Amino acid sequence: MSSPIFALSGVGVSYGANTALAGIDLTVEPGERVAIIGPSGAGKSTLIGVLNGTVAATSGEVMTLGCDYRRASAREIRRSQRRIGTIHQRFDLVEQLRTVHNVNAGRLGSWPFWKAALSLLLPRDVQPVRAALDRVGIGDKLNHRTGDLSGGEQQRVAIARVLVQDPVMILADEPVASIDPARGREIMSLLLELSAEAGVTLLACLHDVEMALGSFERVLGLRSGQIAFDKKRADLTDDEVDALYAFERATDPR
Amino acid sequence: MTTTCRWEAAESSTVDTPPPPAPERGTGATERSRRRRGWALLITAAIVVSAVAAGIGRGAVFKPEGAGSLLDFFAAAVSPRLDASFLALTGTAMLTTLAYAVLGTALSLAIGLIGGVLSSQTWWSSGVRARRGRRLVGWVFARSVLVVPRGIHEVVWGLFFLVVFGIDPIVAVLAIGIPFGAVTAKVFSELLDETGRKPYTALLAAGATKRSAVLYGLLPPALPDLLSYGFYRFECAIRSAAILGLVGAGGLGFQLALSFQTLRYQEIWTLLFALILLSVAADYWSSLVRSARARGRRRSRDGGGVRRDPLLTGSLVFAAVLIGLSSWWVGLDVAVLWSGKAWEFGLQLLSDAWPPSIGDSGVGGLLTLAGVTLAMSIVAITIAFGLGALFAVPASTPAHGRDRVERGRVSTAARMLAMLASRFVLVVLRAIPPPVWALLLLFVMYPGILPGALALAVYTTGVLGRLMAESVDNLEVRPLRALRAHGASEAKVFCYGVIPAAAPRFVAYGLYRWEVTIRETVVVGVVGAGGLGLLLDHQIGAFDYAGALTTLALLIGLTLAVDITSAAIRRSVR
Repeated sequence: MSSPIFALSGVGVSYGANTALAGIDLTVEPGERVAIIGPSGAGKSTLIGVLNGTVAATSGEVMTLGCDYRRASAREIRRSQRRIGTIHQRFDLVEQLRTVHNVNAGRLGSWPFWKAALSLLLPRDVQPVRAALDRVGIGDKLNHRTGDLSGGEQQRVAIARVLVQDPVMILADEPVASIDPARGREIMSLLLELSAEAGVTLLACLHDVEMALGSFERVLGLRSGQIAFDKKRADLTDDEVDALYAFERATDPR
Repeated sequence: MTTTCRWEAAESSTVDTPPPPAPERGTGATERSRRRRGWALLITAAIVVSAVAAGIGRGAVFKPEGAGSLLDFFAAAVSPRLDASFLALTGTAMLTTLAYAVLGTALSLAIGLIGGVLSSQTWWSSGVRARRGRRLVGWVFARSVLVVPRGIHEVVWGLFFLVVFGIDPIVAVLAIGIPFGAVTAKVFSELLDETGRKPYTALLAAGATKRSAVLYGLLPPALPDLLSYGFYRFECAIRSAAILGLVGAGGLGFQLALSFQTLRYQEIWTLLFALILLSVAADYWSSLVRSARARGRRRSRDGGGVRRDPLLTGSLVFAAVLIGLSSWWVGLDVAVLWSGKAWEFGLQLLSDAWPPSIGDSGVGGLLTLAGVTLAMSIVAITIAFGLGALFAVPASTPAHGRDRVERGRVSTAARMLAMLASRFVLVVLRAIPPPVWALLLLFVMYPGILPGALALAVYTTGVLGRLMAESVDNLEVRPLRALRAHGASEAKVFCYGVIPAAAPRFVAYGLYRWEVTIRETVVVGVVGAGGLGLLLDHQIGAFDYAGALTTLALLIGLTLAVDITSAAIRRSVR
């Protein structure tokens, strides 16, 4: 099956007078590993939002796993969203719930409502949850309150959540920006390892340029809502990367 | 204790206060003070007109010959009837009132939870496909569905359900649960909208349905706040359950009405003490849970994380047990809800009521009554505002620790005593429901709107005094400390520090309570104090449902008008 996972053509997002994204053309094939880099405010998070269906594109076409977000029914959109796992910068876990529930929350898309409600009282399908937590290295934290865990551990919970969701595509929005550098590298290599193991496509926004250039085959440069370059890592020159950030300095009013 | 004020503010206003006005024309200080002066003038005029309309200064208001009975009544306070058989009766009635309050609260929380989710902005604005227009329509619709049940007083609901179901425990449960549920839904929706939306959106992004995402991502973080509001509602439900008893739902209110008819003062006092006991206990429980919650929140803001609260968990288990016991005690049978007879009666009533009729008095008569009702509420809130402010100062917590100025032991003791005494008075004032106050005042006054207004004023003083005392407690201490450091006496600190800081909040609370008072005029109307409430009671008694529907519509309109005015004044005061 070689149909692309994402196919965006001419996608733009604007909030009132502010344009967050404009004229984005992007195709991601199965098995690719793509890093998105760019200065703050370049539209990286908005792009992730468009891809996982939480931000509506104001112009252009978004095809995700063959599903057109602008025409599909809510049910069809949910079906395609179920196959895309997202890891967020601030983890976005429910701190008040136990870890087991936060991991199980990855399965809400495939569970009926009654099962979700029951599971809050009597956790369902605990075995896969335990396995996922073991895999990310915090198997002993099954019954801890999520808010009590450290930042690095919480990000591991978020990864475990994506593991039980069993997606074909993982989106990561600054997955390590809120964690100290050493933990961050661990998390990043865990993420790369897992995606390689399961043959899952990975697309990550990264602040850390070295990390992006070091481990991803394809790099996308985003600058003030537009794609500056979209190249194989091997073809990318240092000057292009410098220009991506230098541009910002040049227009900086200060 | 801050939370009571927070809840009062949250549930007030049928009209949603629009988001803080964007930088608009005339936000200048001069413009604002001009607007304020305008309101002040208007308020003064309204008070004078209302006082005249209520019959102040027209003589023949008081009947001195009744003073003896009133004295007898208060003299009986020291010798309530305490024999075993009457105590048993009182105990039974207390349990019935408690059971209605518990069941009514449970229903209102269920309605509030579902209604709250459905009328929150979060629910309507999520999802990639939701169109802007459809979102807005859905949200506005959900919000406006809640307006009508909220505008109708519990007693009116009670009278309606009494016609439909006859004498049945379900009447009181529905009469409390429906209006309270609508208020709860509004507050819940605001609490849910205050909750961080990110965990919820993250679940939606993974393909969860909105229902499941709300269950996992939105409710758990908001739960402690929702529960603490639920306990506050329970406190209010006790008072409502007692009032509903007066119109025939059984319990303490019913026994009170019986004893009033036969003028057995000693029995009345036994029952009143039981009611005060129940209110104080509910009050204490709810403020215990809420202050524990407030402490927890403060700690979590300091980075400690919200801990599981044993008090809250224990209270929840206890509440669940109470619900079971309550439905057994009153013999609640929900099957009557779908019995054919009840539906028949209900539909019959609705078809009798449609189309609404103007009645004998004509439009002019109705409008006069509406004016009288409005006047009653204005006189009541004016008196309650003044008295409440007077009580608030002694009832506030005395300065301690660092803020205590050197004072003699005698004056410290006197201050403590004043605090306890005024708090006790306030508790008694608000524990006795307005209709009972109205019945008492009828001993010494001729029936009319003035006794009704006074009855509402006395009760509202109890509520406002407590709110105002809490807001004095919550004042920023540093300006006061600075004044003391300058060597100002306590009286000067009060004039220069406390009054200016507390006055805007006092005004805001006064206006909130005005919104409540206009709804409560119905209750004193029912015992004969005049206005639209009395008319409504007569119409329902005479099976004139078409007329009653008109009156009800007028009442809701009046309530809305008061809400809008009060919101406008509060904005200009802020």
